[in-house]
Amino acid sequence: MAALKTTDDGKSLGHVLVTGGAGFLGNHIITLLTKRAACSKITCLDIRPAAKPVDGVDYAVGDITDNETMTQLFSKIKPTAVIHTASPVFNNNNREAMYKVNVEGTKNLLKVSQETGVRAFVYTSSSSVIHDTVSDLINADETYPYIMDDAQPEYYTTTKAKAEIAVLAANRTKEYPKFLTAAIRPSGMFGEGDVQVLPPGLSAYYRGQTKFQIGNNENLFDFTEITNVAHGHHLALAALLATSDREASGQALPLDHEKVDGEAFHITNDAPVYFFDFARMCWAAAGDQTQLSQVWVLSKDFGLFVATLMEWVFWLFGLGKPNLTRQQVKYTCMTRYYNINKAKQRLGYEPICGLQEGIRRGVKDALYRGVVVGQPMELKGKKID
Amino acid sequence: MPSIGTIAYYLVRPSQLRDIIQWKVWHNPVHERDEEKECATLKECFRFLKLTSRSFAAVIQELHPELLVPVCLFYLVLRGLDTIEDDMTINIKKKEPLLRKFDTFLDDENWTFQENGPNEKDRELLVKFDNVSKEFNKIKDEYKVIIKDITKRMGNGMADYALNAEFNKQGVNTIKDYELYCHYVAGLVGEGLTRLFVEAKLANPVLLQRPELMESMGQFLQQCNIIRDVREDHDDKRYFWPREIWSKHVDKFEDLFLPENKEKALNCSSEMVLTAIKRADDCLFYMAGVREQSVFNFVAIPQSMSIATLELCFQNPAIFERNIKISKGDACKLMTHSTQNLQMVCEIFRKYARKIHSKNSPRDPNFLEISIACGNIERFIESIFPTQSARTLKSASEAVDPEVAARQKKEAEDSKKDIMYIMFAVGLTLAFVTFTMVLAAWLAGARFDLAIKMVKDGIWSPPKGPEAVQQIIEKYDGGRGEL
Repeated sequence: MAALKTTDDGKSLGHVLVTGGAGFLGNHIITLLTKRAACSKITCLDIRPAAKPVDGVDYAVGDITDNETMTQLFSKIKPTAVIHTASPVFNNNNREAMYKVNVEGTKNLLKVSQETGVRAFVYTSSSSVIHDTVSDLINADETYPYIMDDAQPEYYTTTKAKAEIAVLAANRTKEYPKFLTAAIRPSGMFGEGDVQVLPPGLSAYYRGQTKFQIGNNENLFDFTEITNVAHGHHLALAALLATSDREASGQALPLDHEKVDGEAFHITNDAPVYFFDFARMCWAAAGDQTQLSQVWVLSKDFGLFVATLMEWVFWLFGLGKPNLTRQQVKYTCMTRYYNINKAKQRLGYEPICGLQEGIRRGVKDALYRGVVVGQPMELKGKKID
Repeated sequence: MPSIGTIAYYLVRPSQLRDIIQWKVWHNPVHERDEEKECATLKECFRFLKLTSRSFAAVIQELHPELLVPVCLFYLVLRGLDTIEDDMTINIKKKEPLLRKFDTFLDDENWTFQENGPNEKDRELLVKFDNVSKEFNKIKDEYKVIIKDITKRMGNGMADYALNAEFNKQGVNTIKDYELYCHYVAGLVGEGLTRLFVEAKLANPVLLQRPELMESMGQFLQQCNIIRDVREDHDDKRYFWPREIWSKHVDKFEDLFLPENKEKALNCSSEMVLTAIKRADDCLFYMAGVREQSVFNFVAIPQSMSIATLELCFQNPAIFERNIKISKGDACKLMTHSTQNLQMVCEIFRKYARKIHSKNSPRDPNFLEISIACGNIERFIESIFPTQSARTLKSASEAVDPEVAARQKKEAEDSKKDIMYIMFAVGLTLAFVTFTMVLAAWLAGARFDLAIKMVKDGIWSPPKGPEAVQQIIEKYDGGRGEL
């Protein structure tokens, strides 16, 4: 709870640099910190200019893998703390770029931060770093081991895990004992500005797929509204700086069960829901009227069979990615939810936006932006309630 | 002798009959009353217990000897209070002091009450209430203090409600009022019982430091009853569903019962179910604090029945038409499972949470909230009985020694080979069938040469009618006219 107090009494986090600040999460972090007037200054660093710059925020364009540019930038602006969200898009097939940005970029930022006197460093990791993409995760906590390399089918996840390990290892090193780090592992991020969860989910509605269900829908899944993830980052950063202040004033180190530095935290909406219920809520928010009695339930095996068939047919005729893949069927039928007691106890984390409210806002925003494949285009740019 | 209807019912539902027989045959009470040692007044008290309660009589009589009599008397005292509160033939001026002073009547071993209306079903209890007070004064002082304290607070609460004109005319207004009402009639019972259990050292004293847990135990039971009895209460002009909830769905409470409002009424009832089911995890937590089997059975059976009742009422339009009940077979099955251990009770809760979730309609305004509440029950159960942990995962990965890994690799390669063979066999079969069919067609005189020529010219569809065929022949076959 120490963290909440620091933010509540208006104590400034100082000058915060947000990498990937033009991206989905980075943008939300900047907006939240600005709204709360939590920092004396915010600098957004991204490889591309921001589409919608926030008032009062400094914008810098640069490549995090470039040591020289980063050293120059950091020496010039002297940030107190760094929130590192920059990462290539998940569906990127370029392994080299993923490794370069996620692992080398992160290591570069850590080095530059340590050398230029940054005090706290919060890294956006992923809840997938403990998941092999196939098995169930039931109330999984942070004691679960990393799944990387050969055990990890998603190369992206391996790079996120390696970066997280590097971040946590940089906490209180011999050389830089005052440099504190933490990692946030969000699960299933969605919300305003999202491209990966809501838009494809909604396009299933516009393709008329709401009358199908694969599996028995007894699998709980964690989805996290984006402002909650931003809030988690804020709390972690505040806690690191509070720890740093406490030590600077000669007080005792935090106890093991209250320690934030060098730790990773799962962040969710604290409300695991049955997989299809989340989808149905999104569809309902877009106007779907399907009744349960109209829904066809297909077994998981049948779903896998159809997906395999489609993958083969699409591959044979070179049609690209089919509407249904085996990985999608597996995710649809998988239990995947996390225990967030650690974040609750040590960061004082509680979601600030409920799931239902988040879906309502996110769906409205996706349709407004017109990013849903198959959506009626008259909804684009139109305010609806 | 069971009626023909009953026999027919169980003939088509043998599993129900099986559950009933299993309960009757295999359930052994943890403790049994020793009737020989009981005096006449105590025997009379147990007779009242059986008379006034069907559901509680059995579990109370199986309680640990230390608590058997105190809990039985606690029940009878509250039942007596309830009989006065319920009786509409008693004038409010007379009723109020009776309710407020009811705890003091226990000191007077000769106090009885004859003025209940003739139709009050438990009137005999008050007519012969001296039996209860005589036995009450024999129990330990610690227990007496608890029972009197709860009786006093409940009596005062009931009196306040009896005086509250708005409540009597309009029913419960806000959700807060609704929970306060449930607190007086059920939450307090939960508190009293918990204090008795802890006093008798049969439950963990920590339960007293988490008052929200015992409150939820009572709230959960009471709210389930209020949901189930909506029709009956409406007929009796008693309104417990809070206006704050039903006014979101209909304008007037009685509109819930109109057939044209079916969907609205169901949405309203699911909001009631949602309010109740949010308490379920507290109830499981509470039960984890019970130390003795008979006490566990005593608290677990009603809870299991309640979650089953909630499931039965959820999305069920019948609750607005008549009084519905879980079947006797289901009840016996629930009792069998609720008299074992916490894990079995958790399984019941998980099963019914999933059943509720499977009936949850996306058109319901509380759809997602209900889904979250059901998921929360499952998650809570996982937190006390985890099916997975970092340790179980590690042991699975550590078990892979090089030998096993090599074998698994070989197996994987073998299965890959098998798939290749199968694909090959399938391909061969298809090729053979194709060849045979083409051969048969050729033998029968099919002109593949013509077909191929047509396809080469981009004509994919077969010619229609004899004239078109003739044209084709002329064009590609030099008009030989032979088919």
